[in-house]
Amino acid sequence: MIDFTSTNIRLWSRLGSCGAFGQAALSLPETKEKTVILTADVCNFSGLDRFRASYPDRVYNVGIAEQNMIGIAAGMAREGFTPFATTYAAFATMRCADQIKLCMGYMNLPVKLVGLSAGFSVGILGPTHMSLEDVAFMRALPNVVILSPADCTATVKAALAAAQLAAPVYLRLTGSMNNPIIYKEDFEFEVGKAIELRAGDDIAIIATGSMVLHALKAAELLEQEGLFAEVLDMHTVTPLDMEAVEKACAKNLIVTVEEHSVIGGMGGAVAEALALKPSRPPHLLLGARGAYPHAGDYPFLLEYSGLTAPQIAGRIFETYKELF
Amino acid sequence: MTNEEKYTKAFMQAFDIDAENVRTLEFQAIPAWDSVGHMGLVAALEEAFDIMLEPDDIVDMSSFARGKELLAKYGITF
Repeated sequence: MIDFTSTNIRLWSRLGSCGAFGQAALSLPETKEKTVILTADVCNFSGLDRFRASYPDRVYNVGIAEQNMIGIAAGMAREGFTPFATTYAAFATMRCADQIKLCMGYMNLPVKLVGLSAGFSVGILGPTHMSLEDVAFMRALPNVVILSPADCTATVKAALAAAQLAAPVYLRLTGSMNNPIIYKEDFEFEVGKAIELRAGDDIAIIATGSMVLHALKAAELLEQEGLFAEVLDMHTVTPLDMEAVEKACAKNLIVTVEEHSVIGGMGGAVAEALALKPSRPPHLLLGARGAYPHAGDYPFLLEYSGLTAPQIAGRIFETYKELF
Repeated sequence: MTNEEKYTKAFMQAFDIDAENVRTLEFQAIPAWDSVGHMGLVAALEEAFDIMLEPDDIVDMSSFARGKELLAKYGITF
């Protein structure tokens, strides 16, 4: 049983999203007896050392063989296990595209694919380890639920929720170690239901993953300029919370922010959802654009992509002033 | 509660051990003080003393005794 104490929440934050997943994993066999975890040579990086020590017969390190990992996980799901498969998001998705399409999209097998360090957080290793297209690919598949938690508390909640779903799930983990805390205590995490973290009448900022924190900070900066922004944590990209998106249409401007390409990500999902709506506000999509940057540390890459809070606030402010 | 008591309690809480086993404790001397346990200790100390430990100090916190020395930097005396 996981306790959402302030000390545990601080611990998860210190460990980062990968370590927080590992802590959540420790409790999974309590509710899902047939939980197994597969990893492509990143057992330690996935925070799974303690899980391996506690449940040595439930961990399968397949080596650097991600495509095989998906196939093995799918077979285990077919046999009634609840398999979580972990590796870097870039390898978990793009490298395994065919296996994921067939096993998770077509066969609808309830594999829980955990994409570690999505976005830029391990960008110091170069574009090979940047994962900026994973949501675009996973969104194109039928059946797959996509979860994108905002902090480490939400990561724990999302991992527990994923285990309970009968569907295939892509759990996209962003952020690094010392991941700032947004959810300071236990909260209700309902798959497919966005969370309003801040109210505001002028603008709706819909953010996902690591960008929720930056959106909150950007909203504070905008308030200093006289613009009031609502901030939504869209922790589930698929299925999208249509009610929340419809409600956002009452604002003058919708902004989506994500640590992902502006093409095909959560922003794309919102735009597609609103495409046939005859009356809707303009939509500013913020995310990674253009060519892959060179290797760099996480703060540098966020700044390079215009995804720091002041940059987000600046883009929103300029756009709002141009439009209204 | 004195700082000594708060400090000892943080170790007991982080590693689920008795006070009598705390004072000579060193990193990785018991299974609970692994890398995750280490961050659990950091979280417990930060909560207890309302501080944020610097990365170098987190790495340097190799024993019960060393931790006390490091906390002096944060104005915590024993």
